[in-house]
Amino acid sequence: MARVFNWQLGREMSYWYPESRPKKQFAAVFDINKCIACQTCTLACKTTWTSGKGQEYMLWNNVETKPYGYYPLAWDVKLLQELGAQTWDGGPYPGQTLFESARAGERVLGWRPQEIDYAHPNMGEDDCAGRVDKGCSLAIPHMNWFFYMARICNHCTYPACLASCPRGSIYKRPEDGIVLVDQGRCRGYQECVKACPYKKVFFNPLTGTSEKCIACFPKMEQGLVPQCFVNCIGKIRMAGYISKPEDARPENPIDYLVHIRKIAKPLFPQFGLEPNVYYIPPIHAPVSFSHMLFGPGVEHAIKEYRDAPNDPDLAGLLGLFGSSETVVAKWKRQGDWVSGYGEDGAEVVKVPLREPVHVRAGLDPAHGVVRTNCP
Amino acid sequence: MRRIDCAVLALVLGATGTISCRKAAEKTSTEVVAVRRATVPADPADAAWKDAPAFPAPLILQDMVEPRLLTASTAEVRVRAITDGARVAFRLEWKDGTPNDKQAPATFTDACAVQLPGAPDQKDVPAPQMGEKGKAVEITYWRASWQAVVDGRGDTIKDLHPNAAPDHYPYEAASLAKGGEPQREMEQRYSPARSLGNHMAGPRAKPVEDLMSEGPGTLSPGPSNDSNGKGTRLATGWAVVISRRLPQGLVPGGRSQVAFAVWEGDHGEVGARKMRTGWVPILMEGKL
Repeated sequence: MARVFNWQLGREMSYWYPESRPKKQFAAVFDINKCIACQTCTLACKTTWTSGKGQEYMLWNNVETKPYGYYPLAWDVKLLQELGAQTWDGGPYPGQTLFESARAGERVLGWRPQEIDYAHPNMGEDDCAGRVDKGCSLAIPHMNWFFYMARICNHCTYPACLASCPRGSIYKRPEDGIVLVDQGRCRGYQECVKACPYKKVFFNPLTGTSEKCIACFPKMEQGLVPQCFVNCIGKIRMAGYISKPEDARPENPIDYLVHIRKIAKPLFPQFGLEPNVYYIPPIHAPVSFSHMLFGPGVEHAIKEYRDAPNDPDLAGLLGLFGSSETVVAKWKRQGDWVSGYGEDGAEVVKVPLREPVHVRAGLDPAHGVVRTNCP
Repeated sequence: MRRIDCAVLALVLGATGTISCRKAAEKTSTEVVAVRRATVPADPADAAWKDAPAFPAPLILQDMVEPRLLTASTAEVRVRAITDGARVAFRLEWKDGTPNDKQAPATFTDACAVQLPGAPDQKDVPAPQMGEKGKAVEITYWRASWQAVVDGRGDTIKDLHPNAAPDHYPYEAASLAKGGEPQREMEQRYSPARSLGNHMAGPRAKPVEDLMSEGPGTLSPGPSNDSNGKGTRLATGWAVVISRRLPQGLVPGGRSQVAFAVWEGDHGEVGARKMRTGWVPILMEGKL
């Protein structure tokens, strides 16, 4: 095991290979508060990449209803149970990562989902709802709440899948940090499926190899965002590249949200993988739950996000989410307008700081009908 | 008359006893002896195997490199070998009460392998664990899931899960001529491992694969791809024939080393998680 620095943990940790950061690191910010779980992202990915034989059950992108929705079943709570209770109140993480808590004979602490665990893409999604007249289907001692969490591969800086593969079939591209399974080399041992805490590597039973989200690298290479980003109805996603904290540039939208304003947080940073998909935490869910998911700093993120209407820069950047198929490498607010620029510096999109609002009368007198206002 | 009856009975009992004794006294050897025959048998049930001595090879855990196997499963593999001077066939038999011939998430297939040094050198054999850099080993690998496909199991998800109901594959759209090149190309696009010619990806015409290795984690396609094999299910386990050409430099009358491995799918064994032997001496009989 080598010693590497994980800035999300604020400390060094053990990893199977020495630290080797890519020239650029693919990253994304998902605004949980905007997601409506329409699953358009899921289908965009499905039709593009996983419509083949043996891929029937695979969802490289999925949206699950937290706290009781999972794909595969109980992916997170099972691993949290394996890892055991850890505490983290801010500052360097004092607990154990998945690499540091690996059992004898293993490279990473993990578990293998069974086939049945993939049988229900979002089991538990309705358990917190229920028809008003019938009452909730789930009786729990706390107030009911839920939110939708979209998930793809986190293209981690320290991928557990990569560390676990005994034959080096998984690699992290030095040019953009995208993590891929070499389909010519994989022999289907499923060590990566076991090791990935996010369960974003899938075994294909007909080819006998494991497959995973590729961050639509053919598009990213052309400066275009992945399919699940461009098809997002709720415009919850922003794709780009993240810098190390000490190299953060405010004009880079990902850097601004993650490093400068600190409103987007990594998913389960305590696992130690330095995941590169960041979430703006849900403002209506208990902070304690978000703390478990996203680590320290959730309160600050929620406070900043709630204050966005009074914060032209933050509001402006949030308005750029999902506004262009081109990767927005830089952004700038000028007065009431916000512009996004591609990697070549050319403006690719310009949006108003606030969309003009038109409120129509409820009744259309010309046709004598009641209007339905749709977004 | 009664005396004659007793004598007949005694003869019958005696003969039965002799047969039982013969059956119990299976011919064994203290090394693997590949007996010389005109041809090598392809089927584990071939009568020719009865004349080849069995070598009972005790299996040990692969607990040297991660990921390791920490709890033992298959205890022993019984090996017989026959050579025709150009090829050598091994018959591996082991106990396994749970046949596993499907691969799926967290589901692993039974398998076995035979390993020989790439170049026989009695004084300087490669490391028995997958060889070492500069000293390659050649491996022939059989797996039950490939055998099931070769024996006729189809190549669709419904062949693995009869109740599965996949609603649509894009390459089966009505606009694409069935069996045409555009359809085949589109299907390949959704199967990258097959597009890249990964030997693992199938569909397979034979249940074995030729491999070579220069240490753990370096397994790659072998120098040739002419091995063959056949596995059949016995009442208590598997009997598998693996047939391959003699490695370069190993000639009739010569000696080398051989190693064996067995994977128990039901025990989650796959890749490095396996039961294995160390090197075992092997003699290639020279005379027919």
